[in-house]
Amino acid sequence: MSRRYDPYDDRTQLARYIDRYPLSFKRTPLAPLVPRPLTLSEQTGPVAADLFTLGPMDLSKTSADGPRATGQLIQISGRVTDEDGSPLAGAAIEIWQANSAGKYIHDADRHNAPIDPNFTGEGRLMTDSEGNFQFFSIKPGAYPVLESGWWWRPPHIHFSILGKSWMDRFVTQIFFPGELLNETDLLLNAVSDREVRERLIFQFEGTSMGEVNAMGFRRDFVLRGRRQTPEVD
Amino acid sequence: MKDRLMIVSPYCTIGPFFPASFVEGHDDLTHYRGGTARGQHIVLTGRVLQEGGDPTRNTILEIWQPDANGIFSSREGADPGFAGWGRARTDAEGWYKIRTVVPGSYGDRCPHANLMILAIGLTRRLVTTVFFADDPDAVRDPVLDCVKDAAARKRLFAKRENAGEYRFDLILRGEGETPFFLD
Repeated sequence: MSRRYDPYDDRTQLARYIDRYPLSFKRTPLAPLVPRPLTLSEQTGPVAADLFTLGPMDLSKTSADGPRATGQLIQISGRVTDEDGSPLAGAAIEIWQANSAGKYIHDADRHNAPIDPNFTGEGRLMTDSEGNFQFFSIKPGAYPVLESGWWWRPPHIHFSILGKSWMDRFVTQIFFPGELLNETDLLLNAVSDREVRERLIFQFEGTSMGEVNAMGFRRDFVLRGRRQTPEVD
Repeated sequence: MKDRLMIVSPYCTIGPFFPASFVEGHDDLTHYRGGTARGQHIVLTGRVLQEGGDPTRNTILEIWQPDANGIFSSREGADPGFAGWGRARTDAEGWYKIRTVVPGSYGDRCPHANLMILAIGLTRRLVTTVFFADDPDAVRDPVLDCVKDAAARKRLFAKRENAGEYRFDLILRGEGETPFFLD
């Protein structure tokens, strides 16, 4: 079945150029992006679950019965749909984030905060038949962007999603509600519209108590793409 | 009657900390699920450069292409030993390297691979297409033909350096800028 993928509407997206974010001015193409037809090549994509080894859905420990990482346990859930609201089943989601001290396990991270040996910081999971996903983690800490001389990133979790095709491939960052640093973050504030900004922030889902004691957060994602419908006169 | 569409989620930059384990092993499309890909195995390599010709390090590049017979992975008749999709990261000098096969043609599409760039400084992905041909001037392709400027069009072809190695640089901005497609 043929699907329709319109170019992203700029009003739903972050600005391409961001003041005080110098690389946006060195890497954004000068020439206008070239319109093209979408052929089979662009409308297909890998079956991601075949490519990836999916991991456990708990980033807060490195083994099933190992100790918990330091920090606030959180449960993240959400649903991935297309523009029609149809669930994307079997979409592969890659997540990565800083630990509770604001430190990533990565060569490029020079922040002098400690690595937490009990925190994995990354995971790969797949949406179920209804497009739903959920995982446990630790609330990430804020951290400085050292090259900037001033900019601190508020707590956020990175999401990378492989959906149905090359056209709905999606990468973003999701922030936590009520964080002071949300007001000064260059990326979160690179949106002109309040509703767009809200789509970059988790919704607080309340607390759970009992076998699992965690704070719940939710973020649904809408990936580009919809059913091709015949023109109606 | 038209149903109301939902609003697409906002992209945000991949940032500098994409985990190494998400890249490892994905830079070789020629070995997949215990099999070996049919067709001519090649290394597709080049540099990802920003304005002024400076290298971009730690840039993520993804590829999606048909197999040597022009069939996409997981479709009927596709080569089970070919991954179709891959991912690489640029080093400190901006170099990436992907092991793949020369893609086959099919229908009205000439041999090509879809490429995508994710990097710090880019709030959204950039997408382009690399073409493989001995004589670029002879190629007619519905996507390639959208690039009207002759010099820009030439920049979408990988250059065969020697048997088994093709060079394709991506210049994100400035002199010699690579054409990117509306996304």
